[in-house]
Amino acid sequence: IETEQTVLHCLHNQPNSNFLCTERQLIRLAAFRHFSLLRLELSPSSILSLHRYTSDTHISQIRFPAAQNNINTRFIILDKARSISSPPAASGQSCIALAADETAAVHIQLWGDECDAFEAGDIVNLTNGIFSYVRNGGLLLRAGKRGKMEKVGEFAVAFVETPNVSEIQWSPDPEYPKRYIQNGVVSAYSRIFPPLP
Amino acid sequence: MEKGNPFVASLHEVENQLELSLRQAFESLEPKLQPPFSLDIPDPQESLELSRAILYAVLCDSGSSKTHIKLLHALVTDGYAFFTSLLVGTVVELYGKLVDSAKVQLLWLTKEMIDVSSVGLEDLLVSLLRRIGSGDYGDQNVWLCFELVSLFLDKWDCLLEDAPLVLTSALYSFLRLLADHCRVSGIPKLENMKRLEIKFCVKMFREQLRLSLKIGRDLVRLLQDLVHISEFKEIWNDLVCSDVSKIYQLKTSSRYFLLRITPEMETQLRFLLGNVKLGSHKRHQIWFLKKFLLGPEKETVLIDIVRFICCVVHPTNEIIRSEIMPRWAVIGWFLDLCKQNHHVEGRVKLALFYDWLFFDERIDSIMNVEPAALLMLWSIPQYPHITHSLLEFLLHLVDAYDVACRDMIMRGVASAFREIERKGVVQSLDMFLSNPEIATDLKKKLANLLSCHQDIN
Repeated sequence: IETEQTVLHCLHNQPNSNFLCTERQLIRLAAFRHFSLLRLELSPSSILSLHRYTSDTHISQIRFPAAQNNINTRFIILDKARSISSPPAASGQSCIALAADETAAVHIQLWGDECDAFEAGDIVNLTNGIFSYVRNGGLLLRAGKRGKMEKVGEFAVAFVETPNVSEIQWSPDPEYPKRYIQNGVVSAYSRIFPPLP
Repeated sequence: MEKGNPFVASLHEVENQLELSLRQAFESLEPKLQPPFSLDIPDPQESLELSRAILYAVLCDSGSSKTHIKLLHALVTDGYAFFTSLLVGTVVELYGKLVDSAKVQLLWLTKEMIDVSSVGLEDLLVSLLRRIGSGDYGDQNVWLCFELVSLFLDKWDCLLEDAPLVLTSALYSFLRLLADHCRVSGIPKLENMKRLEIKFCVKMFREQLRLSLKIGRDLVRLLQDLVHISEFKEIWNDLVCSDVSKIYQLKTSSRYFLLRITPEMETQLRFLLGNVKLGSHKRHQIWFLKKFLLGPEKETVLIDIVRFICCVVHPTNEIIRSEIMPRWAVIGWFLDLCKQNHHVEGRVKLALFYDWLFFDERIDSIMNVEPAALLMLWSIPQYPHITHSLLEFLLHLVDAYDVACRDMIMRGVASAFREIERKGVVQSLDMFLSNPEIATDLKKKLANLLSCHQDIN
């Protein structure tokens, strides 16, 4: 393990933040408490990668059903649309949005004051989330009662819009009755938020 | 909002690490910030924590600031380096989240750091200069600009002695800001600010000419937008009469091009040009536009953004060969954004071509001229009018930019063209010289330019 000084020295002399393998070493070091100054030096995208060192799920790994609140993931919001429920839900507004990470895209549901708290371009950490069918919304990733969405940054995620895990058909696995398997792709891209021309 | 909390609270947002560390230090050490102070020398770890606590305390509350700062003076053993680095972190990461009173305190602390010639002072002042927004005439931004120019005037002697180059950075910033401020009329609160900006810039030229000239060739680019102001007309005439060609020969250091770009803009532009694939760039472009370019006067920052991209962001060969968004495509987009505003568009094109005018292959970097060359090249198939207008602009600059130095400029542009061919940026200059899409008279002018200035070696 290199000392903080050596690491900072490397950072100062390599202004381009695109050195992948060295960056991982730096991220591992920065996770230690006494490297607090180092955290100040890291680019925002590196700091976000810190979250990956807990066992976070990539969007492409999200499985259905995940009606237990156990999805921890990070994504960037691509686009937001207004209320999906009509009439508006009694407990408040809700809206649907397109989100994605480097591996896949997904539809998410924002509930109540989440709707105004997050904008396109925001990078969000979801803890204890749910991925399930919502009436009039399809397969949605959401915080649910016990989960939490928090903004952790902006802009710095290079995402893909396909596959979209909300646009995938799931059906029961004939061999294991409680499991579901992917049974085909309804649409390569979101049908609600098609890619920009 | 908590009583005294210097940061705006935001639900649904993870607390910034620095903010958290300052707040936690304050919460655990608050009793130690009040007299009677302990006579024990704190261990290194506690010293750092006390510095964090002091910063948080001063940002919260102006009443006890003097007491807190006395404690800092007593503790410090590193020339205020750590404390200043905390201030820099606050300006870079947290400025937007500070409540108005905390911003006042931040500037007060900055003046304290100037008075003690702290280590890292230059970084702090440059970070603050970068926080002055372009094309933003809201109260907060005008206040910051006014406070900073006053600070540079009031602390002139200290800064001249301890950090003279920071005065040069301030000169670059205020010359550039003045060019925008002078085009805006009918806002009374700007008048005082403009007066001070002019006073500072004139003082730099009159009393510290050598320091001012350290900016290099971009000084001319900045000054030419101000010659309509009587105070600058004289300065311009003096400079031009003495040897302006010497100023043209001095390449402007890339650190100046960061001054008019905020840290967030820099991060996003670097990410766009280093990580986003061409084809997946549309959403990132929309977000960038929404965050920085919405507003009647905001387009002016495109001039500085283009200069920054050409001179500071130099992608590696690996990135150039990949599918990642190339610089010429981003610049093409910016040019398209300002095409309705002829004033800004002209200056953006000048910023794009400025390094061509005085190009010397021995000292100038091909990476500064590559974006314009590729933009002209790759526009030919689908947007030949873009190639046409850029080439026309460049050749017009050769004739008209500085008639007295026309020869020097012709040599510069010819060298730039030859270098882009030699280094393989374009396969052959015939792509411009023999292309049917480009008007004949332009091709002739270009051919003439290249033939008159053959390489002597």
